[in-house]
Amino acid sequence: MVNPVYIIAVLLSVSFLLGLFRKPGSDFARLAALITLAFPAIVSVSWLLQFLGEPTSPFIIYTAGSVPPFSINLKMGIEEAFLTSAVNILGFFGFLYLYRTFKESGVSAVVLFLVLVMGLNVVIMTRDIFNLFVFLEITSIALIGLIFLKKDINAVSAGFKYLIAVSVISTILLLGIGFIYYFAGTLNIDDFVSKNSGAVKGMSTAVFLVIIAVLLELKPFPANGWGLDVYQSAHPGISAMISAGMATASLFVLYKILPFGAVYWMQIIAAVGVITFVGSNMLGIAQKNANRLLGYSSIGQIGLMVGIIGFSPMLGKHLWMVFFGLFISHFLAKAGLFWLSGMIGKENIKSWSVLRKQPLLLIAFGVFAFALIGFPPFPSFFGKWQLVMDLAAHGQFGWIVAILLGSMLEGVYLFRWLGYAIKLDVEADQKLDLGIEKLIPVGVFALMLFGASHFAIENVPGGLTLNLIPVYFILLLFVLDFLPAKIKNSIAILGMAYYAWLLYPSLQDDTLRLVFAGIFLVGGVLTLFAGYSVKGKRAGFYPFAIMMYAGLIGLVEAKNLLQFFFAWELMTLGSYVLIIRGKKSLVHAYNYMLFSLGGAYLIFLGMALSVAGQHGLSLSLLNTTHFPGWAYTLLAIGFLTKTAALGLHIWLPGAHAEAESDVSPMVSGILLKGGAFGLIVLFLAMGAEKAGGHPLLYALGWLGAITAVGGNLMAVFQEDAKRLLAYSSVGNLGYILFAFAFMTNVGWLTGLTYSINHFLFKTLLFLAIGGVVMRVKTHNMYEMGGLIKRMPWSFIAVLIGIITLAGIPPLSGYAGKWLFYNAVITKGWYFQGAMVFFSGTIAFLYCFKLIYSIFLGQEKDKFRKVKEVPVWYILPQFILIIGIMVFSARPDLVLKPIGALLSQAGYFPTDPLTWENVTASTNLGYWSGYKIMLVIGVMFVTLLTWLLVMSRKAQKVKQFNIVYSGERPFTPETTHFSHNMFAPYYKALGFLTIPVVTSFWEGVNSTAHAFADSFRKIYSGNGQTYIAHILAYIIIVYLIIF
Amino acid sequence: MKYFNIEYISMATGLFLFLVGLWGIISQKNIIKIIISFSVLDTSIHLILVSIGYIRNKTAPIIDGVVSKTDAATKIVDPLPQALVLTAIVIGVGVTALMLTYALRMYSENKTLEINKYKSLKW
Amino acid sequence: MELLIKIGFVLLGLFIILNWGLIMAGIIRKIIARVSMRRGIKIYQPYINLIKNYSIRSQLSHGVMFYLGPVFRLSGGVGIFLFMPLIYGSEIWNNFSFTGDLILIAYFMFFGMLGMALGAGEGGHPYSAIGISRGLAQFTAIEVPFTLALLSLAIQYKTLSISEIVAMQQGGIMHWTLFTNPVATIAAMLSFLGAMGHSPFNVVMAPQENPIGPPTEYHGTFLGVLQTNRAILHVIEAVLYMNLFFGGASSWLELLVKSFFVYFWSVFVGMVFPRFRVDQSIPWMLKIPMVLGILSIVLLIF
Repeated sequence: MVNPVYIIAVLLSVSFLLGLFRKPGSDFARLAALITLAFPAIVSVSWLLQFLGEPTSPFIIYTAGSVPPFSINLKMGIEEAFLTSAVNILGFFGFLYLYRTFKESGVSAVVLFLVLVMGLNVVIMTRDIFNLFVFLEITSIALIGLIFLKKDINAVSAGFKYLIAVSVISTILLLGIGFIYYFAGTLNIDDFVSKNSGAVKGMSTAVFLVIIAVLLELKPFPANGWGLDVYQSAHPGISAMISAGMATASLFVLYKILPFGAVYWMQIIAAVGVITFVGSNMLGIAQKNANRLLGYSSIGQIGLMVGIIGFSPMLGKHLWMVFFGLFISHFLAKAGLFWLSGMIGKENIKSWSVLRKQPLLLIAFGVFAFALIGFPPFPSFFGKWQLVMDLAAHGQFGWIVAILLGSMLEGVYLFRWLGYAIKLDVEADQKLDLGIEKLIPVGVFALMLFGASHFAIENVPGGLTLNLIPVYFILLLFVLDFLPAKIKNSIAILGMAYYAWLLYPSLQDDTLRLVFAGIFLVGGVLTLFAGYSVKGKRAGFYPFAIMMYAGLIGLVEAKNLLQFFFAWELMTLGSYVLIIRGKKSLVHAYNYMLFSLGGAYLIFLGMALSVAGQHGLSLSLLNTTHFPGWAYTLLAIGFLTKTAALGLHIWLPGAHAEAESDVSPMVSGILLKGGAFGLIVLFLAMGAEKAGGHPLLYALGWLGAITAVGGNLMAVFQEDAKRLLAYSSVGNLGYILFAFAFMTNVGWLTGLTYSINHFLFKTLLFLAIGGVVMRVKTHNMYEMGGLIKRMPWSFIAVLIGIITLAGIPPLSGYAGKWLFYNAVITKGWYFQGAMVFFSGTIAFLYCFKLIYSIFLGQEKDKFRKVKEVPVWYILPQFILIIGIMVFSARPDLVLKPIGALLSQAGYFPTDPLTWENVTASTNLGYWSGYKIMLVIGVMFVTLLTWLLVMSRKAQKVKQFNIVYSGERPFTPETTHFSHNMFAPYYKALGFLTIPVVTSFWEGVNSTAHAFADSFRKIYSGNGQTYIAHILAYIIIVYLIIF
Repeated sequence: MKYFNIEYISMATGLFLFLVGLWGIISQKNIIKIIISFSVLDTSIHLILVSIGYIRNKTAPIIDGVVSKTDAATKIVDPLPQALVLTAIVIGVGVTALMLTYALRMYSENKTLEINKYKSLKW
Repeated sequence: MELLIKIGFVLLGLFIILNWGLIMAGIIRKIIARVSMRRGIKIYQPYINLIKNYSIRSQLSHGVMFYLGPVFRLSGGVGIFLFMPLIYGSEIWNNFSFTGDLILIAYFMFFGMLGMALGAGEGGHPYSAIGISRGLAQFTAIEVPFTLALLSLAIQYKTLSISEIVAMQQGGIMHWTLFTNPVATIAAMLSFLGAMGHSPFNVVMAPQENPIGPPTEYHGTFLGVLQTNRAILHVIEAVLYMNLFFGGASSWLELLVKSFFVYFWSVFVGMVFPRFRVDQSIPWMLKIPMVLGILSIVLLIF
């Protein structure tokens, strides 16, 4: 192994030598510096590999020929090896990124850069606090010198403010160090700790000065305006070095000097960190300038890591895993984002849409954004997971709430930004600065995130139980994204089918899970069929479609909480990207994401509460939680964001309506069942039948009923066909929620029947309507009309769909209704039941409007030539119709085993439903799907035959041949009664559809933004104000501590 | 009269200058004056450090004719703080020079040294 | 063989009901005319209309769904008949009620409505669509008190089987639901007014003015089918209410008499009250009838 001291030696000597090469042209100097920078990277990585390979004791480097405390010593342990590797890799790629910039700036900047990297290395490795001070100063000076890379006055003035602030802070640090020496008589960290010098009288103030100075270096909220200005104005390549490099070193300094302080210091540090995390992200939401926003985000993320260091007594042996997860995500992502910002070269976050010119960069942006927020499979997901779990184990729920709140706020701006990049128009004259030296660092850092994920998964408790096969399949699809859509479609379908085949044996006996697995996988395959009609590559579609399905199926497979949450987030991520693909989906996908994120965090919190005080991660911990009231309520609300219960539904209509034609059925017919399955898991945990009287369930029952009425009523007044179906989904999920909340055997059968039916008919309807919309290029139903003649197959599909939806016998919708009545009456929820029934009749209104406005009535001139929808849309529809028919005729095939499972597995022992062949009966009533179908079928055919005989001479007439008060209408537009069809109904009941919920959430949104916007005014831009902030911060923290 | 001796006086002076420096940094509007205030601040720390290392009735830690190698430990003041101060002075000079460079650049761009005029970055 | 006999009796029952429906329509119209100081039609006029319509030669079709609409409609009417037990204690006259219970009938009513709505929709006449939209809108409100009453009955009798509900009302007039659960009966009978589509709830068809409503475009055989259905449906709906609230019928005579009076209730009210607009009828249904429905349940629970 190369002695790490050579890192310093080489960097330092090359820096000096480069000074000689001013004249012969800086090309050589730059190249020499780049090669030199590779050296420390290789050295530290090799140390890291050695430590990873076999745990050995740290390597100590002595200087000046004597041992500490009489001389300065450096240490190279696994922690140092890791962090210096990070810093040196960043140094190498950061230099590479700036390679062209350095040509303009000359050799001195190159030298400064080398000094910067060297300083960071020493800061990490040194064990002497004065040495620490010196090299912190050297690093700062080098860094501030590098700010000169950008010549404009903003950068210069920001640099000056930064310099003044850092100087004041380091003065305080020096003061503290002096006093530490005065009281302890040593400057060596290990010596100090081993002598237990912290106990010396008068030491606490000295330690306070040192620790507060280091904290201030880490830019705690709100004393951090000086940092923000530099982030905003410096060259992004330098900002990357500050955010990733400087912060790394400073964090480790904080970690090193922690043993100086007393135990309660930990709480202060944790508080400083978490307040910074929440506060900085809060103010970030009002920010539009990309670099400054990245600054806010950096400060927030670093705050979170400070918090983790403060939490270290609670994290115990997980400290490094948690720190690793969050640190590496921030490190790689933030550096990458700053670099991207440099390539874009514009200030406003809206300009980032230019990334679409280079899809790989857009993917990199997505990877960085998702890694920052903490989506799987990125390391931050695992870091945050373990952090929250450990905090929960110590009962620190307040901190968990704060951390999740901060993450949520971070999501608010990051997803707005990502959305802009994906959806906004590219400004015409905008160019991307695409040097190869800039692309490589971004690409490498994005890839390294995946490598880091691998480590995180291996080290998080329970991580090895994760099923990563789907994740690898998704990655494969990313790699294969260059192929034509048809081939990828086949791969995706085959993959899912194969997975279904693999999975089947393990779920065979668990019919409950089997049903959902069936919905997810069979539904997935069917909806993918429609993708065959897409021409071209359809870039970026398949990985995310499969990701959503992988998440969904992961929910079913999940045996422990980590698996469940992993799957849940995977599903959210995939579906978000699918939804945002729609043409006008920007704001809807954003809403979807925010609600999903909020919901996910509530679920997370609920899980944390469940785990608190228990061991392990098994899903069954939910059953035995010590905080049932809170945990169950939080979990329920979390799942309800996905099922779009009234109050949390406002994201759904737009998201489902504006999605692509074949995405709508995926997200509406199938994705929503993910939320339903979550509810099932929750309800099972609540303890089956004995929880039937739980007030939460009672509340959820009412919520379901209200959602059913509200959703259906809003659907009635839509003019947009897909929005109508979307609102109908809100209503139908209300039924499902209502049914599951019964917590009785029949209630659950009802819920499952509804779930299956909703899957069948909503997928069918969305496929059919999606196909129609694709052909006629409008969502407005009143613009269509008379399409039955052009699209007879679609008409049949829609007809079957709405008959099922409406619950009209003989189709399977009726099975749900019949079970529903039995459930309502046995449970005694009459009024809620009546409301749900009322909503069922409301469903007729929109069913009629849907099929009539589109397929019947008057055909419009412009659609006289439209063709039937592609066969790839029709095919899955008719498979679904077959499914409906089978389920209608033989509901016992599905319901009987489920009923048996529900009673035998002990979920709901009392099973009032008995089956006699195909006749189901309870002590209330009976129903025989098969016979009903037979009777109605025979009768229908008989009557049809009779009418055929009677009116055999009927003559087909043309469109306008109607009785019209002696006149002959000739414009289809004025003869097609469709727009505002239910005006009188609106007059009677429209007051129920006033969008109070939307107004409420808009209020929340504008209040938060207004708050953030006014609070960030404290960053006045005046350098002296920032210094005053720093001093005030010191005084306040001092007063709190002493 | 216990406190009227050299180490307390220098320590007190140091602390006083520390406050003066800080006050100057936040109250003076002129950038040059701010830099001067920083120098005062920096110097105050040097003073404090030196007084920390001072031991009464001992001499400077220079091994020459007066102090031989063998009795150095009993005759000299603590040498370490003085070494620290030397280093700190060097760093202070570097920082001050950098500050002045910035001041120069700022002046040449905007023709003013009022720190209030450099507020275009905010919020 | 058993099945054939069964089908034979079912057809016979259907024939009786159809004829009774036609005769009853004639009688009612005669009564209405006399009340409004007119001579009125002949009692057998509905037969004449029916025969005329079936034998009209010129027939126009707007398309497949237009054609299927009346079939759906008649299937709806006949279907309810098929699932309805007619005579208490008679295996033969129970039709196919063994396949499903009250809920089946409640939902099968939609079958005809929907099919008709679609058929009329393909006719392309805006008046049809207007009528349908009004009808469906009004229907949602009409169903509310009825549902509440049904739930009340289910609580009271602990069954959803019509035959059993009838069985439990046997043994004297005081055992009828009318007396054992008067509030539910009132709620249901108010709902019945809407279901029958007489004034004040007849804006759907608006029979006095220009033709409006689903049948606007239907004529000839199609209209004949619709008229057939209406005759069957009116009787069979009255039979449903009779079964649920008025003790059912133990003989055909009882059935005919009771169904007449149940049906006559809606005519009687219609003679007295003027027509509601849709936006008036919906709030009306959601006021007193709904409150009565809720009350009927509350009374049973507590």
